[in-house]
Amino acid sequence: MATESAPAINPIEQFSIEPVVPIHIAGHDFSLTNSGLFMLLAVGVTCLLMAIGARGDSGVPGRMQSLAEMAYEFTAGMVRSAAGEEGMKFFPFVFSVFFFVLICNLIGFFPFSFTVTSHIVITAALALLVFLTVVFFGLKEHGTHFFKTFVPPGVPIYILPLVVAIEIVSFLSRPVSHSVRLFANMLAGHITLYVFGAFVIMLGGASWAILKPAAVLPFAMAVGLEALELLVAFLQAYVFAMLTCMYLNDALHPGGH
Amino acid sequence: MAEDDDERLRSNLARLRGSLDKARATGEARGPARAGASGAPRGDSGMSLAMRAASEFISAIAVGAGIGWALDRLLRTNPAFLIGFFFIGVAAGVFNVIRLTSPKGGGPAQDSPLSRAEAADKGGRRPGLEGARERGSSGEAAGSADDDED
Repeated sequence: MATESAPAINPIEQFSIEPVVPIHIAGHDFSLTNSGLFMLLAVGVTCLLMAIGARGDSGVPGRMQSLAEMAYEFTAGMVRSAAGEEGMKFFPFVFSVFFFVLICNLIGFFPFSFTVTSHIVITAALALLVFLTVVFFGLKEHGTHFFKTFVPPGVPIYILPLVVAIEIVSFLSRPVSHSVRLFANMLAGHITLYVFGAFVIMLGGASWAILKPAAVLPFAMAVGLEALELLVAFLQAYVFAMLTCMYLNDALHPGGH
Repeated sequence: MAEDDDERLRSNLARLRGSLDKARATGEARGPARAGASGAPRGDSGMSLAMRAASEFISAIAVGAGIGWALDRLLRTNPAFLIGFFFIGVAAGVFNVIRLTSPKGGGPAQDSPLSRAEAADKGGRRPGLEGARERGSSGEAAGSADDDED
């Protein structure tokens, strides 16, 4: 009886992609979707933050300038610690990836917004971008020396083919784990939040009055989860950028150094 | 009297400059280390490490099995390559997890070049942690000095 009055629960609905501005060119669908819209929004927010922070028209750094400087220092420290001083040539790339993912994750917290990073297409595209950058830059800089990444030193010749196969599979699995981690975290987090939010409504709207106060319990849980998800949003963006640095380190120093 | 003051000021200045130089030197030594320290602890939090280990393990198996499946389709050798590459994928997954969790010193995968990235990363973090510890102990030292003065 309670289920009849309760609204239908569909935790996946929030991830559906809908065209916002329909654009059709020569029979192909180029519509601007909600995903594309929120990606543009994330880029816009990042650019705005940095533009305000870099204005620096007063001698004393203001809040926005401190924020921009902290963002720079944090990312630069991450790049230097993972990929060394030469890694700084990739700083613009890592910074862009980090802030795109971070802002996309954070925008997803606003009600009625869309979490771009909860789609594996987006995270896989980013991970493949990193992967291909590593492969092409490594081959360009080091030529065939780059393949030493797959040949560990000091391995007896009779198990070398097996070890090389394992190393190659391990190398190829990187973009998969790189993309799935971010995607799965964001997807699972938003589904969990939705489900607990729905529990609040179901219990609050229950026909037995005795059940109504119990709605406080899932509400408390949802509040806690919101905090946890905020941490996860930061952490996953950080981990994504950190792994980008570590993979780029392989392109800079194949076979270690 | 005036000369006395001058002398005292000069010696004060020299002392301050000396301690400033020292602070600057150690500060420079700590600069990059601090950057490492600021990044290290969050990336290593228990839950994210567990998530990383799980995803690296599973993705290696999936990629291995996928390669085997594709080779089988190409060469019509069903299911020889699928079985073989599945196990290679499992080995790569175990390798990934060992590499991820092994301490920077030892570990079976230490000689692997791919693990060097991780080792270099951890090596980059280690001075950070040491720097933090050093800073902590110097802070304690400063604290005790303060206590003495009090």
